[in-house]
Amino acid sequence: MRGALLFAFNSPKYNYYEMAVATAKRINHFLDLPVTLVTDSESLPVKQSYQFDNIVMAPADKTNKRDWGAWYNKGRYRAYQFSPYDETILLDTDYMVNSDKLLKTFELSTDFCCHDTTSFLMHPGAAQERLSVYSFNTLWATVVMFKKTKRAEQIFNSLEMVQNNFEHYASIHGFISATFRNDYGLTLATRIVNGHTTPIEDVIPWNLLHVGKNTSVYRNNDDEYNTEYTVMFDNWQRGKIRKEYINIKDMDFHVMNKENFMELISE
Amino acid sequence: MDTTSLITEAKARFNHNSAKAYLKDKYDSKLIVADQGGLWKADTQIISFLSAMDDNFIVMIDTFNNPVQVNRDNLLVLLKETYNKVMLEWYKEWKELESKR
Repeated sequence: MRGALLFAFNSPKYNYYEMAVATAKRINHFLDLPVTLVTDSESLPVKQSYQFDNIVMAPADKTNKRDWGAWYNKGRYRAYQFSPYDETILLDTDYMVNSDKLLKTFELSTDFCCHDTTSFLMHPGAAQERLSVYSFNTLWATVVMFKKTKRAEQIFNSLEMVQNNFEHYASIHGFISATFRNDYGLTLATRIVNGHTTPIEDVIPWNLLHVGKNTSVYRNNDDEYNTEYTVMFDNWQRGKIRKEYINIKDMDFHVMNKENFMELISE
Repeated sequence: MDTTSLITEAKARFNHNSAKAYLKDKYDSKLIVADQGGLWKADTQIISFLSAMDDNFIVMIDTFNNPVQVNRDNLLVLLKETYNKVMLEWYKEWKELESKR
């Protein structure tokens, strides 16, 4: 059986549960997959407007933070344990599903894959992120497809090990350990399991599309399953902002700006 | 405020380079096809190669660098179909984009 898995732990600043509901509806609509939610009692509202396929209650690890505040992203390694599906797409809640493209990941001849390359809307040719200048290109935990196999289980076990020893790996690879990032954890975990290489089969063969800094996305209409957007970019030139835009449709993207994502899903 | 008014009020300019890059990202991914135990990109190179060969079964290196034995005719039909469909969509959206110039 196939399905999708979302983690949503509300922080003081952002309602991840609401994001998960919006994303789950789009997963149902565009991918025709059931969605399991991993959340905690503080995030789960008493009245729920949407029926998840399953809800797994798990305590949030609240020991992480970012520059903008608390960020409860730890514990993603439990995805293998919590997924009730044989084949799972694990998504960040701020990933905007606009097509059935992710279904293709199930057809790949692998039991685990994620993105290793990204594109930024309005920043064509932006450099790929590395753990540090001395280390590897980053893999991305935003979209992960895994099957219930021994190797996939080992990758998630390694992710737990890396999370628990993040400072150690940060000092080896030369990145800052103050904020735990699943992207970095996953990069290291997959390499450990694969003999310190990243097999090409573990890579989703298209780019992860990000909406990055100084970029905002607006819906072109108010349909619940709208797939057409205007992307606006503040291009700073000689101390002035020049607004630039493009129109996109039927294309999945990952919104880094949570406020922007909340605007997109608001009714 | 609707997005058309937003663009007008902000005096925003259409960015062709970013739009081209977005189209390439979008349609490149649609050219990828899993078939006969391999992963293929329906591009001109592979279609030309399959067309040029005449054996029924041939071994090809797929996107993951694995050698895969394929039924040439079946793969060719699938890749040509995919190529034509995707490139037509790409062309159509590109023409819409060009009209904004």
